[in-house]
Amino acid sequence: MSLTTILLALILGILFGFALNKAGLTRYTKIVNQFRFKDMSVLKFMMTALVVSMLGLYPLRAMGLITFPSVPETYVVGNVVGGLIFGVGMALAGFCPGTAAAGAGEGKLDYLIPGMLGFLTGAVLFGLTYSSIMPQIKKIADLGPVVIPDLWNLNSFLTVAVFALMALALFYAIDRMGLQRGEKKSK
Amino acid sequence: MNWLKKQLSKELWSPYMAGALLGIVGILTVILAHALLGASGGFENVAGYIGKAIDPKNVYFNYIMPTGITYSVVLLIGIFFGGMLGALSSGTFKFRRMDDQQWKKAYGKQTWKRWLLLFLGGIVLEYAAGIAGGCTSGLAISGGMLLAPAAFLFIGGMFASGIVTALIVYGKKY
Repeated sequence: MSLTTILLALILGILFGFALNKAGLTRYTKIVNQFRFKDMSVLKFMMTALVVSMLGLYPLRAMGLITFPSVPETYVVGNVVGGLIFGVGMALAGFCPGTAAAGAGEGKLDYLIPGMLGFLTGAVLFGLTYSSIMPQIKKIADLGPVVIPDLWNLNSFLTVAVFALMALALFYAIDRMGLQRGEKKSK
Repeated sequence: MNWLKKQLSKELWSPYMAGALLGIVGILTVILAHALLGASGGFENVAGYIGKAIDPKNVYFNYIMPTGITYSVVLLIGIFFGGMLGALSSGTFKFRRMDDQQWKKAYGKQTWKRWLLLFLGGIVLEYAAGIAGGCTSGLAISGGMLLAPAAFLFIGGMFASGIVTALIVYGKKY
């Protein structure tokens, strides 16, 4: 790894962690209350990030200035089952690998010590059991590293525009139509 | 300038503003580093040292996920310092063992309980990210911004089980 790459990764990571901190996602309450629909910050944060990025990346790709790097692989069952297990951990603990790293930097020792040790242990366990579970899971409905407009042969600008409109409709439903639930009065 | 100073010292931003910042960082990551943002991969790169000590011929750590201080690991270190910078900028940096009031109401005040649950939660999250092909950062956000189907399958699964889990934990108070 060159020094430039190291510095670049460090700066990008710092900006990412900074955004997580300012969005308040380094807190148990913010994460779990998303699943209770009492605080919609996670969804707003994620959807805004997705729309802003795709509005930049798709035109850049169409102009031939970039290609998409390491597109995540779609293997339907694994993506869904992984997500299902992930959601349980996220709602119980109230963090995920990224928010835990940023939270650890804020001085949260519970994120830094048991959190980081947990992630490392999980990663070791995954690596050691990889061969006995993953090749089979990856074979089911395996579409490879693909993006929706290419997969379904859609106009990519239209797809991005539809996605952006869906996000705006979601924000409208949250902020104006009461999709967010109120906090019940505690006894 | 004053506006910027005021924003930087705020403890919380509107999630739209923080999300827009992340979106721009996502674009910059592709342009400048020809890579994506992520978090769970960095833990796997480091875990390889332990994994290979246990099983030197392990397929995953030898051939699929390289062991070492990679781009993903440096990114993860950056996220740590980014969180620190954010907390310092708003004057909220503080060493603490557990500080969440809602957690205490849901699970009780004992520190050991929280620490145990975060350790177990960490294992579950990282293993699940392995199965799915990434976590909230590397799959949901980075894959989502490219419109990869994997990201939306993952987000759907994550919300479905997250809602059910919160229902079970909070019961009548959900």
